[in-house]
Amino acid sequence: MIPRLAWRSIWRNRRRTLITVLSIGFGLACTVFFIAIGEGVYAQLIDQVVRMQAGHITMENPGYRDAPAVDLWIKAPESLRLQIEKLPQVERTKLIIMGQGIARSASGDVSATLMGIEPSVELDTSPLVRHIVAGRYLHDDDGPWVVIGSELAKRLKLAVGKKMVITTNDAAGNLVDELCRVRGIFETGSVEIDGYFIQAPIDFARRLFVLPEESATQLGVVLRIPEAQDFILREARLMVAGQDIAVLPWQEVIPEIASYIKLDKGSNLIFQAILIFLILFTIFNTIFMSVLEREREFAVLLALGTKPVQLRLQILMESACLGLIGCALGLLVGGLAAWAAQVWGIDLRSLLEEGFTISGFAISAKMHARVTTGLLLGTAGLVFGATLILSLIPMRRATRLSIVDQLR
Amino acid sequence: MATIVDLQEVTKDYGQGQALTHALRGVNLVIEAGEFTAMAGPSGSGKSTLLNIMGGLDRPTSGRVEVDGREISDLSNTELGLLRRDRLGFIFQSYNLIPVLTALENAEYVLMLQGVPIAERRARVREVLAEVGLEGLENRFPRQLSGGQQQRVAIARAIVSEPALVLADEPTANVDSKTGTALLDLMHRLNEEKGVTFFFSTHEEAVMKRARRLLQLEDGVILNDGIQTNKWN
Repeated sequence: MIPRLAWRSIWRNRRRTLITVLSIGFGLACTVFFIAIGEGVYAQLIDQVVRMQAGHITMENPGYRDAPAVDLWIKAPESLRLQIEKLPQVERTKLIIMGQGIARSASGDVSATLMGIEPSVELDTSPLVRHIVAGRYLHDDDGPWVVIGSELAKRLKLAVGKKMVITTNDAAGNLVDELCRVRGIFETGSVEIDGYFIQAPIDFARRLFVLPEESATQLGVVLRIPEAQDFILREARLMVAGQDIAVLPWQEVIPEIASYIKLDKGSNLIFQAILIFLILFTIFNTIFMSVLEREREFAVLLALGTKPVQLRLQILMESACLGLIGCALGLLVGGLAAWAAQVWGIDLRSLLEEGFTISGFAISAKMHARVTTGLLLGTAGLVFGATLILSLIPMRRATRLSIVDQLR
Repeated sequence: MATIVDLQEVTKDYGQGQALTHALRGVNLVIEAGEFTAMAGPSGSGKSTLLNIMGGLDRPTSGRVEVDGREISDLSNTELGLLRRDRLGFIFQSYNLIPVLTALENAEYVLMLQGVPIAERRARVREVLAEVGLEGLENRFPRQLSGGQQQRVAIARAIVSEPALVLADEPTANVDSKTGTALLDLMHRLNEEKGVTFFFSTHEEAVMKRARRLLQLEDGVILNDGIQTNKWN
């Protein structure tokens, strides 16, 4: 009978119950939706950045992060690569030679980052391929051909097929230069990438930096399932145990992105906390008002011999019912909206024609949400759990009232 | 006859210092099983206080209170609650039914608290509701019942668990005289036929006349305590 009493009691004031349930639902739906959008943008950002760089996990010389230089290359990465690729969570591995140099043309020179890549791998994994605006992307047998950013092309007045020279220091520290031609021009929207970034076939980079066959400064690992990163990290570290190779997560390789996400999540957390506080305040207000209005009724129940614990149970059930209905509504609306935003995306290209950049990395203006069971259940669980905790105060009040005073 | 209530030198004070009020001043009272007793007195004479103390809803300032053979002054709130649940029935002036429960559920509530199986308690409640003249109205909510009908539900709730004593605080005060008479007839019949012990407070002449025993309370003291003989008794 106590559940029946609780259920009927919450519908005694239908309007108030409906407003409360709708408030919980709306607040939770907004929270779920905005967290999902945020998670989606972060996932999109991470995916684009790691695919353009060395993947979710980077294996390199332990000294490379402190003083990046091509002489800190790793030996025989091919055998390591074969081992890593056997793990089912791994999508691709990529060999990279990353170095600095000066790009020169008849019109001038610009300091640039040269990334030696395996074109066939990048064609499958890198978002840069989709940003080619002139010419084409590289092929494995392209030889001394490169792709450059549109800003760099503009500064050096280069077009597809035109010659340029890259001057740099080789692995032994000698000044070297190589002639190459522009195969394609990309435009990502990021000034840093479009203005200072060059990609060339890895064989060309090895020749330029005078590195041996099969050498690389990095072995990157792109994951099929990003959530498996910690597991793969542990596995990879076991594989290189005893070797002079460091295994790093992308957060250590591209710390500016990790910091940005952390900071953004922190500021979002404040917004979400305010939203959840408002939801909880609504629930508390409703439960408390409902208890205050029924003090005489509770006194009658106590007079008839109801144990305080039974009264507490009734109030707890009323709170649980409000919380459950509100959370179910919020999950349904918020979950569906977030799922739609995950499948179809939210297209802001009309507002942000050229997309936007985060820490120099261009992000598409079409945002996709990312909904996970953990997000849905975690957020709803938080609201529901807090609802139950909040009912402790009205519960305490109801069971401590003076029967005589209330019945007077 | 068994003693249901035994009060010895019971006092109850409210307030402190200059605001100190003596609601009861050394009340001695014994209620035996099967009695149909009314307590009369003007407002502020201590009727409700005495009822509350007898019902374990309030504690005396001093004196001894024994209900159903048990000294209750030192019982905890939980123990008092169990005593009220198992041995006492209450009828309030303003019915105090639970608005979201039907007549049947209201009357059933105490049996539910006692852990009586649902089939048994439903059968008992239907029987009692029929006895108080509410057959066919079992599934109505309090708002769908008249004042008299609501008080009948309250009476059914008070007697369904067969308590040792039913305490009624001005049970006819909120109904018209015709309904009040009908309610008194009902309580009288339950007392005579089923042996339910009733102790009720009133300030209505008509109600006082119906009691077999009448107490007169004034300024916290029982001034008169006598057996009445009339056409009903």
